[in-house]
Amino acid sequence: MNGLEQALRSLGRELDVPLAPDVVSSVLGRIEPRASRQAAWAGSRRRVSLAVALVLLAALAATLAVPDARSALLRILNLGGEQIELVDELPAVEGALDETTLGEPVTLDEARRRVGLRLRELERRPDRVYLLGERPMAWFVYGPLDDVRLLVSQTPQLMVDRRLIAKKVVGRDSSLEETLVDGSPAFYLSGSPHVVLLLDERGNVIEDSIRLAGNVLLWQDDDIAFRLEGDFTLDEAVELGESLRPPSP
Amino acid sequence: MRTYQSLAFRTAYLLTGSAADAEDAVQTAFVKAWRALPRFRAGAPFKPWLLRIVANEAHNRRRSERRRIELPLRATAAQPSGDAAPSPEGAALGRERREELLRAVEGLSDRDRDVLACRYFLELSEEETAEVLGVRRGTVKSRTARALARLREEVDA
Repeated sequence: MNGLEQALRSLGRELDVPLAPDVVSSVLGRIEPRASRQAAWAGSRRRVSLAVALVLLAALAATLAVPDARSALLRILNLGGEQIELVDELPAVEGALDETTLGEPVTLDEARRRVGLRLRELERRPDRVYLLGERPMAWFVYGPLDDVRLLVSQTPQLMVDRRLIAKKVVGRDSSLEETLVDGSPAFYLSGSPHVVLLLDERGNVIEDSIRLAGNVLLWQDDDIAFRLEGDFTLDEAVELGESLRPPSP
Repeated sequence: MRTYQSLAFRTAYLLTGSAADAEDAVQTAFVKAWRALPRFRAGAPFKPWLLRIVANEAHNRRRSERRRIELPLRATAAQPSGDAAPSPEGAALGRERREELLRAVEGLSDRDRDVLACRYFLELSEEETAEVLGVRRGTVKSRTARALARLREEVDA
């Protein structure tokens, strides 16, 4: 450890950090009502069995030529502070997006209303919004359709099953890495994935195609399945994922 | 919860610079951690997993506030062990230098400051820092090196 590092460590010990408040009772107060609701829900058998697994099939596509722009990549992303034009910085994904695969175009307000949950958003509003199916699956598109930088989907009542993913995700031209997004297990598939397999509440397998020829990050939080598609690295994808948050009330 | 609340609060405070924001971040993080516990991988280190959630909550609050972080030094900062008691002038100079270093840290980008706070103010290992910041260990190494270089430039300027 050099002199500057030692000075920093010493400085850290001299910081005047206020005494930590006791948050136990307030935390318990926030946890217990939900726990009670969950118990009642389970007891009444109304709970839909969310035996949902996400199985990724990494299919082999022709090797994607990595665009030169890739090396120019993103500026350093800011975890806090004045992010987030990072979507503009992401390289465009090769190939145009087929709008018809995303469902019905709607406004952001309409999507918020119809999905029935607080959709998480980046600071920048999506350029286009779609709803697909009865659940429904919400799609946010960043960038024009012929130059898409990022796709975000959010689907209620899906859960990610680590064992299934670990077992099924294989591919010679793609690889799976496990990470965390907001503390939740997340799965980053790079290479040329082209299909996601979802299981619905009854355990039926639903095949869903990857919309962009890029990389994918999947995770689940509060019974919502999140999926990002774009030409991003794992770190970039995680930072994008953690930048998603509910809009201010 | 009691075991970790001091560390969680210190983490959130160093990342937000606000006691109120830190308390709010810790409360929300504990609730989220409780809900995420079924997905916590048995055998994995708990501290960085929890601090990751705390850090995310702290970042959310920092983003919404968009203010510069200013961390105070204790009024009577301890002398490094083994040092003789300094003269009043020497103590003032030492404190001035520490203040200068602290202001230089505060002037760094969020990304640089976060990695330095984790490594030196919270004294987390590279592995723990990687978990808390959600990046790879190699990324922590490179970010730390770059942040130290930028800090050195600031201090030497």
